[in-house]
Amino acid sequence: MATSIRTHILVCTGGGCIACGALQVSAALRQALRAHELHDEIKVVETGCLGPCSVGPVSVVYPDGVFYENIKPEDAEEIVSEHLLKGRPVERLRRSAVVAEAKEPEAQAGFFDKQVKIVLRNCGIIDPRKIEEYVARDGYEALARALTEMTPDQVVDAMKKSGIRGRGGAGFPSGVKWAIAKKSTGSPKYVLCNADEGDPGAFMDRSVLEGDPHSVIEGMAIAGHAIGASQGIVYVRAEYPLAVERLRLAIDQAHALGLLGKNILGTGFEFDLDIRMGAGAFVCGEETALMTSIEGNRGEPRPRPPYPADRGLWGKPSLLNNVETYANVPMILLKGAEWFASFGSDKSKGTKVFALAGAVKNTGLVEVPIGTKLGEIIYDVGGGIPGGKAFKAAQIGGPSGGCIPRQHLEVPVDYESLQELGAIMGSGGLVVMDEDSCMVDVARFFLEFVQEESCGKCTPCRVGTKRMLEIVTRICEGKGKMSDLDALEKLGESIRQTALCGLGQSAPNPVLSTIRHFREEYVAHIQDKRCPAGVCADLVRSPCQNACPAGVNVPGYVSLVAEGRMDEALRLHRENNPFAAVCARVCFHPCESKCRRGSLDEAVSIRGIKRFMADAEVGVQLPSTRIDAANAHRKVAIVGAGPAGLSCAYFLARLGYRPVVFEAAARAGGLLLQGIPSYRLPREVIDAEVAMIERLGVTIKTGQRLGRDISLSGLREAGYESVFLGIGAPHGTRLALPGEEAQGVVDAMQFLRDYNLGHECHLGKDVVIVGGGNSAIDAARTAIRLGASTVTVVYRRTRDQMPAYAHEVEEAEREGVRIRFLLGPTEVVVKDGGVVGLRCVPMELQGFDRSGRRRAVPSQQPPVVIPTDMLITAIGQQLDVSAFAADAVPSTNRDGYLRVDPRTGQTEIPWLYAGGDAATGPASVVEAVRGGERAAVAIDRMLSGEAHAFWRAHRKVNTFFDPDADPSTAPRAHLRLLGVEKRRGRFDEVELSWTEPEALREAGRCLRCDYRETCE
Amino acid sequence: MPTLTINDITVQAPEGATLLQAARTAGIHIPTLCHLPGVHAPGACRVCLVEVEGARTLMASCVTPANEGMRVRTNSPRARNGRRDVVELLLSEHEGDCTTCARSEDCELRAIAREAGVKEVHYQGQRRPTRLDHSTKGLVRDTGKCILCRRCVAVCQNVEGIGAIAPQERGFGTYVGPAFHAPLSEVTCVQCGQCSAVCPVGAIGERDQVDEVWRALNDPQLHVVVQTAPAIRAALGECFGMPPGSRVTGKMVSSLRRLGFDAVFDTDFSADLTIMEEGHELLARLRGALGGGPKHGPLPMFTSCCPAWIQFAEHFAPDMLHNLSTCKSPQQMLGSLAKSYYAEKIGKKPEEVYVVSVMPCTAKKFECDRDEMRDSGAKDVDVVLTTRELGRMIREAGIDFTALPEEDMDAPLGISTGAADIFANSGGVMEAALRTAYEVVTGRPLPSIQLEPVGPIAAGGFHQASIQVNDVVPAWSFLEGQTVTVAVVHGLAHARQLLEDIRAGRQSPHFVEVMTCPGGCIGGGGQPRPTTDEVRQARIRAICEEDASKPLRTSHTNPGVTQLYEEFLGAPLGERSHHLLHTHYHPRCFVAKAPHAQKATPKPCAEARPES
Repeated sequence: MATSIRTHILVCTGGGCIACGALQVSAALRQALRAHELHDEIKVVETGCLGPCSVGPVSVVYPDGVFYENIKPEDAEEIVSEHLLKGRPVERLRRSAVVAEAKEPEAQAGFFDKQVKIVLRNCGIIDPRKIEEYVARDGYEALARALTEMTPDQVVDAMKKSGIRGRGGAGFPSGVKWAIAKKSTGSPKYVLCNADEGDPGAFMDRSVLEGDPHSVIEGMAIAGHAIGASQGIVYVRAEYPLAVERLRLAIDQAHALGLLGKNILGTGFEFDLDIRMGAGAFVCGEETALMTSIEGNRGEPRPRPPYPADRGLWGKPSLLNNVETYANVPMILLKGAEWFASFGSDKSKGTKVFALAGAVKNTGLVEVPIGTKLGEIIYDVGGGIPGGKAFKAAQIGGPSGGCIPRQHLEVPVDYESLQELGAIMGSGGLVVMDEDSCMVDVARFFLEFVQEESCGKCTPCRVGTKRMLEIVTRICEGKGKMSDLDALEKLGESIRQTALCGLGQSAPNPVLSTIRHFREEYVAHIQDKRCPAGVCADLVRSPCQNACPAGVNVPGYVSLVAEGRMDEALRLHRENNPFAAVCARVCFHPCESKCRRGSLDEAVSIRGIKRFMADAEVGVQLPSTRIDAANAHRKVAIVGAGPAGLSCAYFLARLGYRPVVFEAAARAGGLLLQGIPSYRLPREVIDAEVAMIERLGVTIKTGQRLGRDISLSGLREAGYESVFLGIGAPHGTRLALPGEEAQGVVDAMQFLRDYNLGHECHLGKDVVIVGGGNSAIDAARTAIRLGASTVTVVYRRTRDQMPAYAHEVEEAEREGVRIRFLLGPTEVVVKDGGVVGLRCVPMELQGFDRSGRRRAVPSQQPPVVIPTDMLITAIGQQLDVSAFAADAVPSTNRDGYLRVDPRTGQTEIPWLYAGGDAATGPASVVEAVRGGERAAVAIDRMLSGEAHAFWRAHRKVNTFFDPDADPSTAPRAHLRLLGVEKRRGRFDEVELSWTEPEALREAGRCLRCDYRETCE
Repeated sequence: MPTLTINDITVQAPEGATLLQAARTAGIHIPTLCHLPGVHAPGACRVCLVEVEGARTLMASCVTPANEGMRVRTNSPRARNGRRDVVELLLSEHEGDCTTCARSEDCELRAIAREAGVKEVHYQGQRRPTRLDHSTKGLVRDTGKCILCRRCVAVCQNVEGIGAIAPQERGFGTYVGPAFHAPLSEVTCVQCGQCSAVCPVGAIGERDQVDEVWRALNDPQLHVVVQTAPAIRAALGECFGMPPGSRVTGKMVSSLRRLGFDAVFDTDFSADLTIMEEGHELLARLRGALGGGPKHGPLPMFTSCCPAWIQFAEHFAPDMLHNLSTCKSPQQMLGSLAKSYYAEKIGKKPEEVYVVSVMPCTAKKFECDRDEMRDSGAKDVDVVLTTRELGRMIREAGIDFTALPEEDMDAPLGISTGAADIFANSGGVMEAALRTAYEVVTGRPLPSIQLEPVGPIAAGGFHQASIQVNDVVPAWSFLEGQTVTVAVVHGLAHARQLLEDIRAGRQSPHFVEVMTCPGGCIGGGGQPRPTTDEVRQARIRAICEEDASKPLRTSHTNPGVTQLYEEFLGAPLGERSHHLLHTHYHPRCFVAKAPHAQKATPKPCAEARPES
């Protein structure tokens, strides 16, 4: 007799972990135990799927409950000698992925916390190859109870009361199905199990069959008793050899113990189980096709009615359920229908297993109560989106399902709610997609899948999906027409109405749901010939260029820099964006977040390269221009010499126009000058690029304020044929809190403008700033430099939700700014007419708002008062409508900014255009450049009747590139910064430039995604 | 009798009726495409969609049961739009060049497009890839024109029990054809052409040999004779808009003369001859089996007129090839006589006589090309045209068929009896044989016997009859008091079943008539389209009228045949007829060895090659 077992090591041997080497780990553990002579007291158990497949092989050590991940066979010795012998768990292998990255309390909910395991009750706990272990966990007790204590009607009744709905996808109430099959009069009857799981990325059924096959066998035997069948068949795809092997073994074991076969448990009940392997056709998951396939024919659906419960397999009554449905059955009988119905939502009871995949930290198998919010599954169970990317959509229900966008993270995942959004529960595939997924491409992918998997029997599915695929493919290639969208919707709706089976009827879903939720993305492909996510190969020259709002040829100038050809590089940059030097300092570089080098090590420091390039400018590098005598005589006025207005003027001037820019301030630059502090953007840098623009033939008239010195009608009277408004959004949004009128409360825009333009600028001692955007951080860092003793930024959400650039926030903190998160201001505390404090209520995150962010709501905690003598508000900016004075204000959009056609910048007044913050709200410099450029192109088209935007054509760059060479191994170079001690009281530029070798080396890291063998 | 409303009309539907049937009882027409009444209703094409109140989607009326209280709309915008979309999608994949398509006159897809109100095909894109299959003598397939209704698959599998073609691949790439991309010649296809008879479009048809015939007619060196099968006279009129069942024998003869044939003969003549040979063969076999005479082949004896059935037996019943009558088919008998007996009469060499057959059949094109069919010293029959091809030829020649005078066939090979006419119907060969055999054995005419199909025909059929033989003439005394059992099958699926029953001893007839096509040759694969049960019934009636109209109705009374035996052949089963009119058949492999090789003709596999 061996000594009693003191510890169990559960090694997951689900398909995923086996693929990662779980069997070798298991063998190594056994060997190590034997070497330490522990094999009598410690047992290695090979179990089914534990869930977090992305970190496999995984293992749990009981009774301590220590969870190890990414185990290698070499780790076995350490686990045994350290943990099992000395009691010191091996920390480096412990599960940490979720907790370690969570800086904020709300994210600490772990992978397992929100899960409820009914279907997966034994997965990862028992050895699926040992029936004794299943029996030890009350296995087959439900069958015994059904056979000895319950009539078939009582079993069916329990199924009805439990409220369980079919887990295969359509969600038909299982109890009702069982009742119909029971009532059906034909003989013999069959119990069929659908294990033909085929959705891309779904592996729920496989995991159940691999991890707990007896639960399915028991569920089917109970079904046999309930409907009066003595034969069951499991239809499983041949691609699941491990599931088949374990199921077959389980059937043999059940036979040996008299739990299958004749006279089960001495009750006279007879039930047998066979396995039929499918050849891997997706359509065979459709019930009638599945039966046709079992009958030995080509797996094609047949029309319903007759329904399988009446005339199914071989024309006999058949009960067909999914693996997961059957696996629930024993628990319903064992613990009661009421217990089961206590999980889930009103109309959908119990739990649902999901295969979580895609852009989510914890991929794998999860089981949650039905009705759990989508956001909770993705963020709490799934751990959120990796790599700091933004969540974009969740694809639920496989190829028959749909995409759910970030506005709907609050949706409870149940049958009805998903259907309302155009998705379906499906069998449980849940693919998370981040900003790098193109929704048109996603629709194309799923459509291609169903088109290839269509059995070809009915016309709508065979031909209709092909026609849809052709249209979507055309859109992805940039050859789409706007009428294609209507055609897709019409055809999709028609296919839904006319196809023979569920596969065809749901095949248009991915397209229809993406058109519904992401129409803009389709429009971008069709009208702008642009793939915003940077996926569609025909529209994307390189991801960085595609990501740049101004469309700068990034690989072009980076490769020129790498060859030391700075002047050419600058000119190439200025083809699309005049503000090379400005953007080298202040751009939020969306190019870098799309850089493919990022998936290798780190993104290329594109802004750093640009900085070096701009600093190297000695003689002014002017872009190519066209001389046009006719254009020179056309009069175009531009109001506002900020980045938008100057860009508009710049591009017009390059077409031969001689635009006049009217600027209210005494100096050109707009927000660059008035809003951005000089430690980020030295004034001479602005002046140099403004002068460059003037050299192209642009006249700038300063001290000309719209509404005071000039008016729109006046400009028209003066003969200006077209006017561009680049007047920004200079007014701060009010807090709308009591006490806001007090002395010492100022808005950040005013504060920054006053300081930057050299006006008198009052500063308090203890400065509090409300807001989380760039203005808040600029104001904070300016206040610190001006000598405030304390500077506190109050933000109602969390760090990861701050709109301010992360590196700016980081530097602000290094300079001494304190940032307090999750505080919502409720009152400005006033004493003697002056501000003395800000009362805030601590916030907590609950649910998700329509932007996909966690919603901050006041918590129950007591409010706090932060003492202050100067409160700077930085919660938003508004248009200055006084600029329009006597003229009518052009119509504005919902957010209060000028309503313009996003493709041309044209307002409702044909000759009036707008761009920059005035039209978009507070945005970035490069987006203002885009606004100015688009308006310039549109104004030219209006005046000349033709399109002349020559800079938009792709320019070849004759730099050398060897596609066969290995990429540079140099790590990303970081910009050097001025020491923190040198920043206080001074406004010297913080970021310092590189040396030439550094810059060239960094530029050499570019992978040249723009390279095309045929054209370069 | 469920009561339901269709378009607000209250309809009492027959028990078990579909919505389509219920609508038709109410006089409401719903277009159908894939539905082949009596054979299959897969609900695949979706052309017959209707709106059923409460249903989430539109329902295919051909498969949806008519239930009590249903409220159905066939003419709502939703139903009409759904049907039209489906038809537009079909048109968008169909690689149909309507102006040159053989089906331009009777294309069902065109008719359905009109019915669905298609004015423009809104969906355009890739069309069905065209794979042409010219591998067989009888049939040509074009997957580009195929719209995957699968009627051909259903007749091949369900009616003929062969399954030579089936849907292959998936998605838009789905096509109908033999497995593994094999050509038709390398699978068990018997070229019966039933697939071409049910094809709604031009995806399957006969090999068009009209031009070969024009060439022969224009060749002054050739004496071109034509023979027409019994079934042609009851169907050819349909090619010119005449109602099914119109008897056009005389017009057919004059049209053939105007096309330039040097002599117009009748396969009826050799049908009578077949009865003489086959009837005597049967009696000889019966004598061998029952009367203790020399063995003359096993029983039951199967007819051998049908070339598709012959090929079926070679594929699937090699063990029973000796049960097939050794008689060649009437077309081949006439061919070999035309190039021997007739050629001698007109002083020509066999190769100077060119024999054209007009047959209701595509397998006849294959038959005339068999190695066994050259006993006259040349190819006995040079070219076989189907009824449809003859119709096209007459049209091409600008002949106004309906206005033609009626003329008679040429002697001597144009003389026939009513017994030969009924060769066109299922049961007809049997009846003709019995008429002669019974009279030979008893000296009395055959009592009335029902052998033609009754009821639905489309899926083929099987029936048996027994004849008590009494008061026989002395020469046949061994038959005195015997009961002779005969069986008639049409549709090879039934033949397959009968073969199994015979092998298993469940059935033991003495004589079996097998015809491949439902209803017999009148429903042949080369006949005008469409061939529905109503059309088959009409043609059968016409054939029976033709028989009834003849003064002579038993083959042994055909004076031409008597003359032939006197002048040329001697006696039935004699030396010369053995040489010219009889043959043997050989086993074939199921599937040729190299399925991908493009071979023109099927070759018997090595193991099965006859020793000779």
